[in-house]
Amino acid sequence: MDGDAVLLGGRMIGPLIRGWDNLLGRGEAAVTVPALDGALRPNRALDEAAARMPLADVDDLAVLEGTPVASAGRVLHELSADGAWAPRARHDADILALAALADGGLALALEGGDILVEGGAFAGRRVALGARGRCITAMAASGATLHVAVGSTRHARADWQHDLLGHGSSGEIWRVDLATGARDRLAYGLGYPAGLVHDGGRLVFSEAWRHRLVAIDPNAPHGRTVLYHDMPGYPGRIVAAAGGGHWLSVFAPRSQLIEFVLREPAYRARMVAEVPRPYWIVPKLRAGRSFHEPLQGGGVKHLGILKPWAPTMSFGLCVKLDGDFQPRSSLHSRADGATHGVTAIAEPAAGGLLVAARGDGVVVRVGADRRGGGR
Amino acid sequence: MSVSETVTRWRYRIVPDHVLGELLAKRWIDNAIPVLILLVVIATFGSAIPDFFTAASVGNLARQWGEFGLLVLALMIVMVGGGIDLSVGSTFALGNIVALALMNVAGLPVPAVVIGTLLCGAAVGLVNGVLVGYLRLRAFLTTLVTLIIVRAVVDMLLLTYSVRIAAVFPDSDAWFFLGEGYFLGIPLSVIVTGVIAILLHLVLSRTRVGWHVMATGGSRRSAYNVGIPVRRVICTTYIVSGTLSALAGLLFASRLGGAGADTGIGLEIAALTAAVLGGNSLGGGRGSAAKAVIGSITVMLMVNSLVRLGITSGANSLLLGFVLLLAVAIDVRWLKNRHKLLSEVYVSPTYAALPPPPGMGEGLPYALNDRLRPVERIGLDRIDGPEDVILDDADNIYTGNRTGDIVRFLAPDYARQEVYVHIGGRPLGLAFARNGSLICCVGGMGLYAVRPDRSIEKLTDETNRSLFSVIDDSRLRLADDLDIAPDGRIFFSEATIRYEMHDWPVDCLESRGNGRIICFDPNTGTTRTVLKNLVFPNGICMTHDGRSFLFAETWGARVSRYYFDGPRAGTVEPVIPDLPGFPDNINRASDGTYWLALVGMRTPSLDLALRMPGFRKRMARRTAPDEWLYPNINTGCIVRFDEAGTILETLWDFGGENHPMITSMREHKGHLYIGGIFNNRIGRLRLDGADATWTGTRSYWGDA
Repeated sequence: MDGDAVLLGGRMIGPLIRGWDNLLGRGEAAVTVPALDGALRPNRALDEAAARMPLADVDDLAVLEGTPVASAGRVLHELSADGAWAPRARHDADILALAALADGGLALALEGGDILVEGGAFAGRRVALGARGRCITAMAASGATLHVAVGSTRHARADWQHDLLGHGSSGEIWRVDLATGARDRLAYGLGYPAGLVHDGGRLVFSEAWRHRLVAIDPNAPHGRTVLYHDMPGYPGRIVAAAGGGHWLSVFAPRSQLIEFVLREPAYRARMVAEVPRPYWIVPKLRAGRSFHEPLQGGGVKHLGILKPWAPTMSFGLCVKLDGDFQPRSSLHSRADGATHGVTAIAEPAAGGLLVAARGDGVVVRVGADRRGGGR
Repeated sequence: MSVSETVTRWRYRIVPDHVLGELLAKRWIDNAIPVLILLVVIATFGSAIPDFFTAASVGNLARQWGEFGLLVLALMIVMVGGGIDLSVGSTFALGNIVALALMNVAGLPVPAVVIGTLLCGAAVGLVNGVLVGYLRLRAFLTTLVTLIIVRAVVDMLLLTYSVRIAAVFPDSDAWFFLGEGYFLGIPLSVIVTGVIAILLHLVLSRTRVGWHVMATGGSRRSAYNVGIPVRRVICTTYIVSGTLSALAGLLFASRLGGAGADTGIGLEIAALTAAVLGGNSLGGGRGSAAKAVIGSITVMLMVNSLVRLGITSGANSLLLGFVLLLAVAIDVRWLKNRHKLLSEVYVSPTYAALPPPPGMGEGLPYALNDRLRPVERIGLDRIDGPEDVILDDADNIYTGNRTGDIVRFLAPDYARQEVYVHIGGRPLGLAFARNGSLICCVGGMGLYAVRPDRSIEKLTDETNRSLFSVIDDSRLRLADDLDIAPDGRIFFSEATIRYEMHDWPVDCLESRGNGRIICFDPNTGTTRTVLKNLVFPNGICMTHDGRSFLFAETWGARVSRYYFDGPRAGTVEPVIPDLPGFPDNINRASDGTYWLALVGMRTPSLDLALRMPGFRKRMARRTAPDEWLYPNINTGCIVRFDEAGTILETLWDFGGENHPMITSMREHKGHLYIGGIFNNRIGRLRLDGADATWTGTRSYWGDA
């Protein structure tokens, strides 16, 4: 698109083309969303999971010396032997992200913008990102270096939908040296980076509002390589999978209606001003709880049944990526499912794949037989 | 209300956006472009040629058009049947020479000349017809060959007879009348062509034969599959074409009386141009006499005007070729894009601001509860879409289903069901008349009565047509709910005149006053529209005074009262102006109040969109229908109110597990029976403290 605009005379013609496209619904105004097909073909693997462990408001997962831990609100939980979540530690602010360190320590990002380390060699280290860190979305550790994804410097984490409606592009990636507490900014102007992972020498992050995965070299962060673009949802946290490849959590679906609303500034402005937030037309971690929420044509129940293919503003999706960050298989919870809003995935050495579905306040364990995705 | 919103409101009140889609949905809109071209041609040459509009000029042109028009009509018939006839020009020349030979050389009387010439043309048509229709040769090549052969025959006849034809001057008044006569001041050839055009129009649009031709042209295989004798139909079109071409030749002969070698040369191209320019599709199945007439006048004017402007004949043919090319291009593009355009512009939302919804918090009339939780389920998974339910004196339940039956569940346990009658369409609102007949609104059909002996009678399926409506609104598309006045008059609602039954929620996107309330009077058998421009009128219920009824406007989220008799006759007054949801059916309760079903609840996002018509229009154009913002009809409730509009109680099934959708409810002997248009069950709820002997039939008709 950018290339075309330059060819056609740059700034002069660009707005004209956009206006014309907007009139006809072409180009940037087109609201096409890629189909869930191929490796992303829908299944019910998340709803048919081997075990469901409820944890209200669960957000991030990490594995600490073989023990899965989960953050929910201000409390850090750990998975007890009987398969239930037990509180492990309480903090004075909401926990935004977790990262397990190689030496057994755990880094936590807190609501106020503080990153603190528990256990391990850097126990007690506290790094303050201040107001810039209100919206930390994910962290990844490599040795003494911690990389931090900040979704937005304009909005707090809880206001992520606001950031999307404003076409937010204030996300940043920071590098923190746990040994010294030094920090520097690797990248800025990102469309809500919501997950990141180390892959060899490079850093791969998901740019949610631009529906893509991007790789940068932490030592030369100005060059960016897009690895996977135009996803059918908003990509979130990424973790390395056992046996190679990665797991990507996709926390909300894209849909034609949402893409359309994102291209309607007047409606968006009035919706934000006049409509209570739970009833907005935006992607959600969990939709359909209230009859005040918007309903779409395909979502009308027939004979008492909501069709699985109904258009929805929330779903559950985990994508298995191969070594080149291309999708290989996927686990789904569809419109009628009960495992929506997947915010984190963890793969402990024993006990299958853990998937945190924040929308439904549950962590599910997917058995090895379904880990390859649907049939 | 902000200034911009006021501007929007007036903009949508003044400009009737929906008319564009309705125009495009009309069949005659195909003629729009040809008529436009004709007007342009008239304007261009009318201003370029000084005496273009004088009587002499017009009369001369008209006489020539009579002959040319016949040729175009001949070609049109074949094209509508899916073929093409290139031999019209040669047959024209053959008709000319044969007529002259019969008249001048053989000296036959005029009627015999006419019959002989027409038979000759029919014979050429028969050859074409047999080859193309029965032997299934390619129409284009076959008629190209007949063009050459007939032309050769004409040349041979010319060699033999031309001198003898020129030598004789026929002395017959009838012959001169044919060529130069006037009837009522109009040239005879114009009369002949006009009459034939009208006949062809009637045949094509009103008769079985004409429909067979259209069907064959539209899809030969389908026509064959439904039993149309395709071969005979095609053969017949060629015979008609040959006969008409010969008739044109006959008129030409009687006018000029000379046989030349260049008669009719190139006429097939001119005729083809005219036919296609008029909008007759080359692919068949789409065409009419009117199109042929429009096209022939256009081409006639063009060719003659160019000659009069002194343009050489070579340039003339060149122009004709270009016009043909242009016409074919327009034909293809129009055919391809009309439906796309129609589907994009048909949904035309308008500004519709709903009043702020009332609160639903604790202690308020609409507060959430789970009083519908103990609903019993009748016929679970054995009934598909019971929109309305009604009970007779023996407590049997009657309801419509999606497949067009009225189903009866038998008292007392409702375990058994039977198809009471199969009615077709989509049975919606139900009511018992005084004589025990079950009156039923049938979506897609109209108003029907089922007598106690199970015989079905159509009461009405049309009403008076509005004067300025583009859509034919005399037909009933979506009769929805009804009620019966004490004198037997039936008032029923038609929810929308712009959408068919299965698209009813789409009407919400428009939220225009597309609906109406109609009265059928069984005493006189007449049907009249009593209220128009209602926003999806739905439930109707007679009040107890016998001179007014309550009606619900679904997308307007309001209930109003209409007086049809008494001092306030003809007035509408609001009863509940601001419902929190979308009202459906209304029915009487045992204590003199009324039950109201809310089929869905209002959502703030849709309320906002209703005030932004441009947003909804773009949404309808850009996104798939399954993605459109809908009214939330997954959750509903039942409300009881009195005539003053006071909300007395609300029944919810919060979560919708036991009874997901509610479109109607009927009180009967201390129970409430609940229907839902997308449901797979009928609900039954015990009402504490309600009169256990009360029935709706008795409330309406007494104990008689």
